[in-house]
Amino acid sequence: MDKLVLIIEDNSENYYLMRYLLENHGLRVIGAVSGWMGIEMAIYNKPDIILLDIQLPGMDGYSVTRRIRSNPEIKDIPIVAVTSYAMVGDKEHALAAGADGYIEKPINPDSFADEIIYYLNNKRRTDEDPMR
Amino acid sequence: MTISDFKTKGFQSIHWKHIFSLRRVFTLIILILAISQLSAFDRLIRVGVYQNPPKIFVDDHGKPAGIFVDIITEIAQREDWELEWHYGTWEENLRLLAAGELDLMPDMAYDENRAKLYDFHKNAVLLSFSELFSRKDIKIQTYTDLDGLTIALLKNSVQENILEDTISGLGIQCRFLRFDSLDEVFDSVADKRADLAITNIFYGRMNAREHQLVESPLILNPSNLYFASPKGKNQEILQAIDQHIELMKSDPESIYFSSLRHWSPEAQKWELPMWLLITMLLLGVTFGVAIIGSFILRHQVNLRTQELQKANQQMELKVEERTEELGFALREAQVADMLKSAFLANMSHELRTPLNSIIGFTGILLQKLPGELNSEQERMLTIIQNSSRHLLALINDVLDISKIEAEQLELKLSEVNLQASLEKVVSLVSLQAKEKGLDLKLEMKTKNLFIKVDQRRFEQVLLNLLINAIKFTDKGFVRLICKQEGNILRITVQDTGIGIPKDKFDVIFAAFQQIDTGLNRKYEGTGLGLSISQKLIRLMGGDITIESEIDKGTSFHICLPLDQEGHDG
Repeated sequence: MDKLVLIIEDNSENYYLMRYLLENHGLRVIGAVSGWMGIEMAIYNKPDIILLDIQLPGMDGYSVTRRIRSNPEIKDIPIVAVTSYAMVGDKEHALAAGADGYIEKPINPDSFADEIIYYLNNKRRTDEDPMR
Repeated sequence: MTISDFKTKGFQSIHWKHIFSLRRVFTLIILILAISQLSAFDRLIRVGVYQNPPKIFVDDHGKPAGIFVDIITEIAQREDWELEWHYGTWEENLRLLAAGELDLMPDMAYDENRAKLYDFHKNAVLLSFSELFSRKDIKIQTYTDLDGLTIALLKNSVQENILEDTISGLGIQCRFLRFDSLDEVFDSVADKRADLAITNIFYGRMNAREHQLVESPLILNPSNLYFASPKGKNQEILQAIDQHIELMKSDPESIYFSSLRHWSPEAQKWELPMWLLITMLLLGVTFGVAIIGSFILRHQVNLRTQELQKANQQMELKVEERTEELGFALREAQVADMLKSAFLANMSHELRTPLNSIIGFTGILLQKLPGELNSEQERMLTIIQNSSRHLLALINDVLDISKIEAEQLELKLSEVNLQASLEKVVSLVSLQAKEKGLDLKLEMKTKNLFIKVDQRRFEQVLLNLLINAIKFTDKGFVRLICKQEGNILRITVQDTGIGIPKDKFDVIFAAFQQIDTGLNRKYEGTGLGLSISQKLIRLMGGDITIESEIDKGTSFHICLPLDQEGHDG
């Protein structure tokens, strides 16, 4: 599998963690530290999936999702929101903004890569977490 | 400097048609000379304008407006003067006035120093006070309260001297911030660069609320406001102004009073309805009396009215009091609730972010992705993993409790196959029971039953009860018994463990309680599980009850209402 994953995450430790897990499962990973940079990189690199931290400095993940969904060049790329908010409505909020899936932090290192691969293979939007 | 240049009605219009009908250029030149001569006679008066609403300012349409503008425009019309407005800051206008480049500067307070530089007329236009305005969080009662505070004021204004004198006389220290405009003065207090502002009452009262400032009880020297003119010039203008102001002040219908009324919207708003109300009441009563024409009736009516009024007043007072109390309580509750939600969201995020790294990287190391581990390293990493998972469980439990208490938890109800669900839960804890040598059994006394619950939360409760039972039982059995009693489903988790004393039955469902058995360290847990379980089951319309005997064992009963159209048999 030679799929490209774009991770938009401002925390370098978390980026390193997700990148390590995904690369170990044979995925290629590129990273952006802000929403704007993420959108630029998505347009330029056309990744197969975007992992998006919701609490980003400046433009938050919900806005990033809406912008990606309204850009014809990248609107069909699946987006998985990764968030540590865990409050009522966060998940619904992310899905409403146009995300295809939702993963809560802290991520489970044993299943994280499999979850992402699941979303890569099932681009259809789903309301249920597959791993729950 | 001169931004706007307005001609008032005193201006003589030039009739261009006549000019073009003349053939000779000479005639034209002569005419122009004549006109310029004429307008010199007319008196072109240059008047300074600066921002100090409502006394004088440039309005939204870019035109000069305010009390002083109204008055001088009226005088100019009567005297056939032509007015030319020079817009600038207070400072700039003062300099122009001193240099003789302005003829009149409105809104000037008289003082001896100024009297050396400028001429004033005698009949004051307005009486003004200077007043201190502060932010709501700063409480000022006396001048000594000003010690150590920063006060914003208008550069070269009358307030500057007065305040400095007052303060140095009291032996207190203040810092002064000087600005070119009153708007900047108020802005500086609103954004906390300064603590207080000193301005005239006209500007202050009109603009304080907008800047969220309040009047302090400190009022400084009253001062009279005039038009000022360069020293030694324009005496006749000042005399004319005096005459007109005297006339205007003696006529309640004059532009002077209508302008004052127009530019003090507050006074109008607050005073008029009161008078109107009283007048209308009086009229109403008189009218009623005249119509009825009966003194007895009138007397009775009055008595009754008084009674009603009294009752009404008392009611109103009570209602007001209650409304105030309720409003206050509601606001407090809303603020507390908002803070709690925000705090939870933030804490959850802040705690989970580092935990994400700890759990994640420990997991990676234990998966041996970066390389092999020796047994000591593996043992230590496993401890880190367990501890961090425990910490996460704690955070999740606290979050759960808070969500339930904040009524933020939403249940996702669905038809759940009871047998499958219970079997799944039992299989999840079977290893733990086996390790302790306990006999773990599921006893289904009902078949093919479906129940409407939030599956994840329902299983969370069962898991919690089973794990507790296994934790507190060293020998014997743990049983999960399920039976139907009429319209109620009864699920019991029964163990042969250490038991719970009767007087602690209530306590164990409270948050953060673990009965002191002297063995607390052995029975590690968040102490929140039972509290959450009970709250969740209650949210689903049921309840959890307890039955226990020391050293014999404990039974937790979950009762849930069965759906009427549930599939039975």
